[in-house]
Amino acid sequence: MTSNPPLLQLRDVRVHFPITKGLLLRRVIGEVRAVDGVDLNVTRGQSVGLVGESGSGKTTLGRAVVGLARPSSGTVVFDGEDVWSLGRVAQKRLRRRVQMVFQDPYASLDPRMTVGKSIAEPLEIHRLGSRADRTSKVGRLLETVGLHPTHADPLALAARQLVRVSVGVARALSLDPDLVVADEPVSALDVSIQAQIVNLLQELQRELGLTSILIAHDLAVVRHVSDAIAVMYLGRIVEWSRAADLYREPRHPYTVALLSAVPIPDPVVEATRERIVLRGDIPSPAAPPSGCPFHTRCWLREQLGNPEACSSEVPPLRLMRSGHLVACHFAEETSN
Amino acid sequence: MSSNAESVNDPDPDPDPGPEPPLLDVRDLRVRFRMLDGTIFAVNGISLHLDRGETLGLVGESGSGKSVTSLALMRLLPPEPAAEIGGEIEFDGRDISNFSEKQMRPMRGRDIAMVFQDPMTSLNPVLRIGEQVEETIKAHREIDTAGARARATELLRLVGIADPERQLERYPHEFSGGMRQRVMIAMALALEPKLLIADEPTTALDVTIQAQVLELLQKLTLETGTALILITHDLGVVARMTRRVAVMYAGLVVESASTGQLFADPRHPYTVGLLHSIPRLDGDVGALRPIEGSPPDLRREPAGCPFAPRCAWRLDACWSQMPELLALEPASDEVVEHVVACHNPVTPAEVELARPDRPGFEPAPPPQAVV
Repeated sequence: MTSNPPLLQLRDVRVHFPITKGLLLRRVIGEVRAVDGVDLNVTRGQSVGLVGESGSGKTTLGRAVVGLARPSSGTVVFDGEDVWSLGRVAQKRLRRRVQMVFQDPYASLDPRMTVGKSIAEPLEIHRLGSRADRTSKVGRLLETVGLHPTHADPLALAARQLVRVSVGVARALSLDPDLVVADEPVSALDVSIQAQIVNLLQELQRELGLTSILIAHDLAVVRHVSDAIAVMYLGRIVEWSRAADLYREPRHPYTVALLSAVPIPDPVVEATRERIVLRGDIPSPAAPPSGCPFHTRCWLREQLGNPEACSSEVPPLRLMRSGHLVACHFAEETSN
Repeated sequence: MSSNAESVNDPDPDPDPGPEPPLLDVRDLRVRFRMLDGTIFAVNGISLHLDRGETLGLVGESGSGKSVTSLALMRLLPPEPAAEIGGEIEFDGRDISNFSEKQMRPMRGRDIAMVFQDPMTSLNPVLRIGEQVEETIKAHREIDTAGARARATELLRLVGIADPERQLERYPHEFSGGMRQRVMIAMALALEPKLLIADEPTTALDVTIQAQVLELLQKLTLETGTALILITHDLGVVARMTRRVAVMYAGLVVESASTGQLFADPRHPYTVGLLHSIPRLDGDVGALRPIEGSPPDLRREPAGCPFAPRCAWRLDACWSQMPELLALEPASDEVVEHVVACHNPVTPAEVELARPDRPGFEPAPPPQAVV
């Protein structure tokens, strides 16, 4: 994409989870293909949005990047190092550089810790700076995410959503990471709070030059935060594009349907909009369809009279135009 | 859309000339929960009305009282002294606010039905889908098992579940979220109720499944003439589904209008803030303009306008006097009244700016006593 080498490079990453049966003799009777062959490059300073519905594998992919889910095959290369073949010491050093913001701010923070302690904890674990350094660092971080430096309440008392999410973000930033993976950071929030966090993420991106992967199901949120977007379906990336192009001219039939399904808060637009309502549910990743993973629900395939290729060949991601990749045999036909 | 007298050419100047009273008329509904360490002021005086076959969106963030309102309408809140309920609820010409449990029971399902957010917790996990659908039918109709089974099959087919005979034999955990919600809708509409209350019916669903379920809800309520109260935090869903909207904040309706009017010409500062807070798929991708501050503390009875601490338009009066829900100057061609509870409404010119545009205007500081 650009001349500088990517900070993060995924090559044919697969994460398959075994399905076992029996208590003592655990037999493997199948596997869930959560991530099923993903290639992805993230360059320094880029903010990538990873969108998809439940079961698309976006969270598992994020966990493979930060070192929480071991790929069954493929490589995750971060700044030239293969994340999953490092020794313990090297891995710990690497974890300092890749941080995650978790989805549920109620479950991912210790309610007995104070706000300050929560943010300082990563610094303590990695033994960074003196106590005084850490205190001043926490103060600066609190300011960065828009909290009062005097926030000393235990988190249990800070019931407010905004405080919790901001603490989660500050905690992830405390080690000055090169890459932040945020898994649905705003999906549990009320609209007015969500807007504050979306703005915060935008600002951090701009001011800290952060490289980030934002995992979300909400296409509108991603549009406001990310500059490149990967759309996932059943463990694969089906479309990759610059954000602006994706929303203006989606090429994969799944992306087209996904965008048309999102209700737009404008009754005038809604009344005249054409919607593609997909039939059925996402197939189980334990038994993905043959060929194109989307072919069982694809409106374009139907329109084209069910061509053979869709159900027999997995479409590779191919270049439609500069920076726009689509995994569809018939992507040229979508715009008609 | 609705079958009652609302044709555009109606010469009658009265905006609601129908001979029928509204299907639902809620007046000054109040709900308080008594807790060990205080009182939660959940609903603080809501008035709502709904015509037959009408669709109303009830919008608000968490804690705005929208779900408690719906539970109060169904009379599903805990009895006194846990919950203190005041006000009047008139349904289909009858005041049901003092109905006993015995009187309410036959009405639930037959007259008013409800679909909840989480279809997994609303279905019984140890009973087959068929038993649960049939149970609903048998509870209200004189019908034998074979008849109930036939009706259940028909209902599942109606909500778009393929191979219904076989699906009736399965358990809820074997269904996807979208299918479970279809079953809930089938059960809710089994007796063709006059009113369906859907409380965040698609919030737990993926967006492509949400589109399916919304389409289904729209089609079925239209066909059966069922009125719909759609409770949601998603203004997009409201824009797609409803004819009229009421915006709630801190247990109060702060603004209500036709859906078109509310989005085109919002007047309450909270509504304006909400509309500017939503990231959109279309339009500009600049910074959002969030509502500053935090949602209100429900442990305190609101003295003035509950939105005052976060409002850029606030006057001195806002801190101490609760604004009444009043009609705006009647818009000539609007059938639906546009009402706002605000001492200092946003002007049309200020809507886009999302802040007051009046020389020298400063939001009133909080009165000394509060500081």
